[in-house]
Amino acid sequence: MRSESAPPAVTVQDLTKHYGQAVAVEGLTFALTPGTITGFLGPNGAGKSTTLRLLLGLARPTSGEALVFGRRYGELEHPARRVGAVLESGDFDPGRSGRNHLRVIALAIEVSRARVDEVLALVDLEADADRRVKSYSLGMKQRLGLAGALLGDPELLLLDEPANGLDPEGVHWLRGFLREYAQRGRTVLVSSHVLAEVAQTVDSVVIINKGHLVATLGRDELSNGQGSLEDRYLELTARARP
Amino acid sequence: MIPQLRSELLKQRTTRTNLGLLLSMLPLIGAIVLVHMVSLPMAALTPREGQLKVLGLGTTFGMIFASLLGTLSVTNEIRHGLIRPTFLATPVRGRVIAAKAAASLLGGASLGLLAETIAIGVGMVGLSARGVAVAPTSGDLVQLLLGGAAAAALWAAIGVGVGSVVRNQVGAAIGLVVWLLFIEMTLIGILPSFGKHLPGASAAALAGAMLSQTSSYLLAPALGALLIAGYTAAALAAGLFVTARRDIT
Repeated sequence: MRSESAPPAVTVQDLTKHYGQAVAVEGLTFALTPGTITGFLGPNGAGKSTTLRLLLGLARPTSGEALVFGRRYGELEHPARRVGAVLESGDFDPGRSGRNHLRVIALAIEVSRARVDEVLALVDLEADADRRVKSYSLGMKQRLGLAGALLGDPELLLLDEPANGLDPEGVHWLRGFLREYAQRGRTVLVSSHVLAEVAQTVDSVVIINKGHLVATLGRDELSNGQGSLEDRYLELTARARP
Repeated sequence: MIPQLRSELLKQRTTRTNLGLLLSMLPLIGAIVLVHMVSLPMAALTPREGQLKVLGLGTTFGMIFASLLGTLSVTNEIRHGLIRPTFLATPVRGRVIAAKAAASLLGGASLGLLAETIAIGVGMVGLSARGVAVAPTSGDLVQLLLGGAAAAALWAAIGVGVGSVVRNQVGAAIGLVVWLLFIEMTLIGILPSFGKHLPGASAAALAGAMLSQTSSYLLAPALGALLIAGYTAAALAAGLFVTARRDIT
């Protein structure tokens, strides 16, 4: 059992981020319990990607806190071995092979070369590992990104729109993968603007719109008789619009 | 910083960009030296100083290509988004910039050594074809090779700093080439006593190479070393300062 004092995998507290005059995130608060898959939902431009970047130390909050395991990402001892993330589907040097891309990360985060082969097998990219990323399909790039995030065998996965570009079979595979991942006590935050992608996978959802929290729904609320998740999502994001 | 350095060195070995730089640099230098060897009058080609000017072209172009190697190691990552996984792996961004600078020093030194080697090689063939005796001493040639490697290494590190500040790949690359090839050479031509203290000329002084064919002003290698070390430190400090504060989108 986890001790009561263990910090949540993700703590977002009064998080605000302004880019000049534009408000990306405003007063956002939520936390993630370990061992769950949470859908991070909102229309395009709602502030999902900004929130993930703040959690990962790529951007600095204007105010408030975005913590992983109770600390700032950059303050964790081996952050990439505790938190894995995929932010965009094409964050590679197109001239480098998939395997070499993973080796580059593996060296930086100090995991073994054997682990590179393991994650390649995990995402089913072994056959294409030595081809240049330039020749990959979008789905293969998504899987390579996921492999990079998994290199450090992290306890927390943050995925931004991971189903983009995946074919139905790929989406099915991703669902199964995330389920199994969470069953081992790990935590997943998966963002999407397409609700149907995550509806069958998640334990709870955090819905944001225009940088503000709209609702957090747990498993009970997701499955109680207030209509499908899709209706609730549309209703909530519509209501939040001025 | 050792894991980051190993990672950066693997990046350098596994990107096509660096091979492309090498494969465009060598024929270009060979051709430029050859053109000088063929076209210069005997009076310009016979004295030691005249020959050193032509052989020093290897250092000038070695510095240019090395600066591109350094700057592309940053801007290429920004352009393709690889900077995100890089900073996730190493959130202490100063460590990433330092590792890129160190890897670029090595890569730049290799480019500079090869650049000066081909310049000397083609130059020797050209001199013998024109029937001119080789005037530089073997000490001169060693200084060209080692100084050329050092000058290129430092310019690769400057490229890292410039790329970190500018971030735009085309802008950074064009800026470096225009600076070395046109701005400095023009300033040396107009105001030699000022121009010879600029970063390109002071780096070239390590090799005893003159950045401009029209000027024989040259700093002593020790003073050049001092100045270029300062310029390199300033460029990297600016890169570190900006990179540590900027949001990655």
